[in-house]
Amino acid sequence: MPPADRAAPLLRVRGLRRRYGDVDVFTDLSFDLSAGRALALVGPNGSGKSTALRCITGVERPTSGTVELAGTPVDERSPQIRRDLAVVLDDLDFFPDLSVVEHLDLFARAHRVQDADELVDAVLADVGLMPQAAQLPGTLSSGQGRRLALASAFVRPRRLLVLDEPEQRLDRNGLDWLAGRLNAEKAQGLGVLLASHDATLVERVADDVLDLGGAG
Amino acid sequence: MGAAGGGAVDVGAAGGEVRALRRQIREWRRGRADTRLVDALSDAYIAVFATVMLGSMAVNVVRHARMAATSVCVTEACSNARSVLPWVFAGGVVTVTLVIARTFGPLLVSPAEAAWLLSAPVDRASLLRPRLAFAAALAVGAGVLLGALLFTLGGFAAAPVAGFTAALAAACLAAVAFAVLGQAHGPRMGRVATWASGAAVWAGLLLLATDVLSARLSPAQQLRPVMTLPVVALWLLAAGLCVRAVAALPRLHRDRLTPGGSLLPSLSGALAGLDLALMYDIVLSSRWRARATVRPVRGGPGGAWALVWRDLVRLRRSAGPLVLLTASLVVPYVAATLGLGVAVPAVAALTAFVSGLGLCSGLRVLARTPGLIRCLPMSATAVRSAGLVVPGAVLLGWGFACAPAIHRAMPPVSWAESLAVGAAVGLGAVAAVARWVTAAPPDYSRPLVSSPAGAIPTTLIGSVARGLDVLLLVTAPLLLARPGPGALASVVLAGIVLAVLLGRTQGRSQNRA
Repeated sequence: MPPADRAAPLLRVRGLRRRYGDVDVFTDLSFDLSAGRALALVGPNGSGKSTALRCITGVERPTSGTVELAGTPVDERSPQIRRDLAVVLDDLDFFPDLSVVEHLDLFARAHRVQDADELVDAVLADVGLMPQAAQLPGTLSSGQGRRLALASAFVRPRRLLVLDEPEQRLDRNGLDWLAGRLNAEKAQGLGVLLASHDATLVERVADDVLDLGGAG
Repeated sequence: MGAAGGGAVDVGAAGGEVRALRRQIREWRRGRADTRLVDALSDAYIAVFATVMLGSMAVNVVRHARMAATSVCVTEACSNARSVLPWVFAGGVVTVTLVIARTFGPLLVSPAEAAWLLSAPVDRASLLRPRLAFAAALAVGAGVLLGALLFTLGGFAAAPVAGFTAALAAACLAAVAFAVLGQAHGPRMGRVATWASGAAVWAGLLLLATDVLSARLSPAQQLRPVMTLPVVALWLLAAGLCVRAVAALPRLHRDRLTPGGSLLPSLSGALAGLDLALMYDIVLSSRWRARATVRPVRGGPGGAWALVWRDLVRLRRSAGPLVLLTASLVVPYVAATLGLGVAVPAVAALTAFVSGLGLCSGLRVLARTPGLIRCLPMSATAVRSAGLVVPGAVLLGWGFACAPAIHRAMPPVSWAESLAVGAAVGLGAVAAVARWVTAAPPDYSRPLVSSPAGAIPTTLIGSVARGLDVLLLVTAPLLLARPGPGALASVVLAGIVLAVLLGRTQGRSQNRA
């Protein structure tokens, strides 16, 4: 793995392209994202927002282009990349036999977080899932499940937070909380990359907006 | 529909309404049917012809198997065990009937019926009675088929086969009726009955393994036709339980009827795709959803060991899989008593594989959910390896624990060789379990092959054999070579399989359309 470039932006995307058969989902996607800032990908359904996030996080291999996290090429198999990159896409499922708090406890301890109990309790209270702490994931409502998925990203160390339509299934209070939380992330010097359909959330959080509407 | 308005439901009138509703639904369905009479007759002819042909083939196979068993099983120990084994299997049939009945209900309604019919002010008993009759008929049919099969293969004469078959059918019917009572009164009584029934089967196997049961019963006693009185008593018991079940129908809550109705279509879908691992996921998920909450356990080590710790917590939280695996240890000892010789390690590995799958729920979720692995700061290999530590250690211990059976069954071998074969059995089961749990689902984008049942993807065939293929590969040296070198070769093969399965890079989706 090449050494990291210390002067590089937190996330650098250059010439990213994803092609399915004869169809280009997006072409020549390039941007930089610095620490402490948020960038929102917007555009209608099918414009390639989720595919772009999947390619940027290494879940899907782009047809061409490069993605670097703090100067290091992103390879999702690399434990170092996984440590720095907190990703919440639409494919996160949970253990059916572990409760809400046990999931967060597991993630925190797997990342060797100091004071895991305190952090997990704080995040649980923050996402409003304290009353559901002992519940199994199969019994959560869709909105609560979404909060748990987001919480899983907050109980672990991270440098860049990547969220795919985080507003999905959240009520008005949930959206307010999310905007506040993402701004707090930025204030702590973390980068935030999100794809969203919610104009209010984008306006409240994003420093830069990239419209993929014409790419697809 | 009449009985609304907040008053008590007039059961008699409501029963009539249910019949009218059912008739109306039937008329709608018939009105939309586009099958011509000639097509229906043609389908019926094919169904009858297939039933008669396949049935006669099955009877022929059973007759030949019985004759083959009679000619091969000539020692006293074997013939004793052969006539005792059907009793134990019959107990197993009752236990499995109870388990299946409790898993699905046995009374169930589909989500659409739950929304439209259960919310209507109609008599619930009238709605559920035909379903109870169907479940009862299914249980009696299964009891008759399996009873006839088991006791015929056991070498019994026609009259005892008929008596035992009638007894097993009554026992299966009683099990289903008991499960309905469990639906009405809560899961505790059904759970206790299932465990008690399973324990009785296990005790039978234990007596068989220690050769106590067959020594106490002479073949003449075993082959004596079953007394009419016990069979009648069993049918009376089943009838009494059915009457109580029918009486309990109006008290059945909607939340006890809908889970089975949601579970059945999911399982049917998974079965249609021959995706047994998906069926495992669905059943597991349904079972835990029904439990709803647990007492959280926090703490434990960090890094990949956190996953190992969680598997230990799982074992403590739900000891069933571990109890089942421990109880299954009796199977290789039964095989040794039956004189299966060099086949005992293969029987042991197969038993460990089947009973060990329940320990791998954590690994299974990790294997099918790349999103979860992305949440963890270690390689996919490290994550999968951590998920296999606890099941692997338990299965390896299981392998060592069956070494005395291997020592007794195989041609003169030293204790060191028996232990080596035991280790090979345990590791073979670990490799097979890892293959089953971590395999990718059937890929429907692959080329199709023609079959009598239509075109099927090539990977679909492999998905049925997954796990068993590894088991065959790993146990082959134990069957073909001397115990020492055979065990070594098996261990090496199991190690290679595990290295390949655990070392695979995380699959990336390349072709999302």
